[in-house]
Amino acid sequence: MKNKYYSIITEGIFSNNPVAKQVLGICSALAVTVKFKTAFVMGFSLTFVMMFSGLTISLLRNLIPRNIRIIAELIIIATLVIIIDQVLKAYLYDISKQLSVFIGLIITNCIVMGRAESYALMNKPFESFCDGLGNGIGYSFILLVVAFIRELLGSGSIAGFKVIPDYLYKIGYQDMGLMLLAPGAFIVIGLIVWLMNSFEKGTK
Amino acid sequence: MSEDTTERIRGVIFAAILSCVCGLLIVTTVSTLKDRQDKNILNDKRINILKSVGLIKENIKLSFNEISRLYTENISSYYVDSDGEILPDNSDVSKKIKIYFYLKDGAIEAYIIPIDTRGLWGKILGYLALQSDGSTIRGFTVYSHGETPGLGGEIESKWFRNNFVGKKIVDQQYDFVSISVAKGKTTEKNAENYVDGISGATLTGQFLTTGLKQILMNYEPVSLRFRSGSIGKKFKLGGSPGNNEK
Repeated sequence: MKNKYYSIITEGIFSNNPVAKQVLGICSALAVTVKFKTAFVMGFSLTFVMMFSGLTISLLRNLIPRNIRIIAELIIIATLVIIIDQVLKAYLYDISKQLSVFIGLIITNCIVMGRAESYALMNKPFESFCDGLGNGIGYSFILLVVAFIRELLGSGSIAGFKVIPDYLYKIGYQDMGLMLLAPGAFIVIGLIVWLMNSFEKGTK
Repeated sequence: MSEDTTERIRGVIFAAILSCVCGLLIVTTVSTLKDRQDKNILNDKRINILKSVGLIKENIKLSFNEISRLYTENISSYYVDSDGEILPDNSDVSKKIKIYFYLKDGAIEAYIIPIDTRGLWGKILGYLALQSDGSTIRGFTVYSHGETPGLGGEIESKWFRNNFVGKKIVDQQYDFVSISVAKGKTTEKNAENYVDGISGATLTGQFLTTGLKQILMNYEPVSLRFRSGSIGKKFKLGGSPGNNEK
C-alpha cells in the first residue's frame, strides 16, 4: 500500500513533472521566479491548494455531471482559494501580504485544472490528494531551480543574500539583466526540460 | 423525456446547488472574518505611517496595542484645503485632502501625505513623509500594490524605500520639481531629485513618478507654507486633531 502512494507522489515530481513533462503552469513559472523567496511561497501555496482541490473534486467525482465538469471544478478550486485567502488575511496578515497576487494566480494555474481534469475525476480521494502533493512538489522543485539560477545570475544573490563579492563588480562584472525578464526564464526552463529528458533517456 | 434533457436538467440543478453551497461558504467566511481583517488593515496602515516618519524601525514587530499607543501619541490626522489651510478633522469643506502630522512636543516634526496612484497593474497605496522644511523626504512606504513580485513589486522592498530618504522635492532654487524614479541608477547630476530605479520594472517606475508628481502638486500649497516657514515648528494647530484614518 505504501509503495502505491509513494509512486503516485514521485511520479508527479520526476517522470510526470507538471512543468517539464506536462508543460503546464509555464506562465506562473515565468512570473514568480525572479526571486527565490517568491518562488518558494508560490510553490508552497500551490501544493496546498492542489492537495485539497484534488481531494474535494475526487470526493464529488461521481456527482459532477460530465457536461459541466470544468465549470464545477473551477467553482470548487476558486472557492477553496478564496477561503484560504480570507483566512490568511484575518490570521496571518503578513504572509497574505507576501502572497499578494499569487493567490489569484493559483485559481488560473493550469496545473490545478489539469490534474483535476485528468486525475481527480477518475481516482479515489486519497490517491488524488497524493497526486496533488506530488505535482505540487514537482512544480515547486522546478520553480526553485529556475529561481535559484535567475536570482544568482540576474541579481547576484540567493534568497536575498548577496553572494557575488563586491570586488568582482569593481573589476567589471555585471548582473545579467536578461535573467530578470521573461525570456531569461524561458531559456532556463527550456534547458531544464532538456536536461530532465536526456537524463531520463540515459537511465532507461 | 429524452435522456439528453434529463442530463441537462441534472447539470443545471447540480450547478445551482454547487453555486449556492460555495457562495454560502464564501459569504460565511468573509462575514465572520471581516472584523479581524479590518483590524489588520488599520494596523498595517498605522505601521506604515509610523514607518514613514521613522518611528518604527524595519524588522521590528510590535503588538497591536503598542502600535495603537505609538500612533495616538505621535500622529494626528488633519485636512488641508486648496490654499494649504489646515483644517481640523471634523470640518466639512468639500475640496479637502488628507494629511497627517507627526507632532513632537506640540510642534510639527514632519507631515505625511497619503499616496494613492496608478501602477502598471493596479493601485499603489502608501505614504510619503516630508520634513517640516517642506522639501526634504523623510520616508516612503508602500502598503498595497499589484505589481509583479520580484520586478515592480520591489517598490515595497527596503532598499527601494530607503532610496527616498533625504531626497528633495525642490531644485536648488527651491522651485518644485517633485521626486522621480530614474531608469537604472541615479547619476551624480540628478541624485537630489531622483531615486534609483528597479531593473526590469521601468514602467512601474514611470507610473510612480507621474503619480508622485501629481500628488505632490496637490499638496504643494501646504508644502509652500512649510518652506516659507509660515507653518513651522512654532505653529499652533487649531481645532481638535483626529485619530481615525477613514
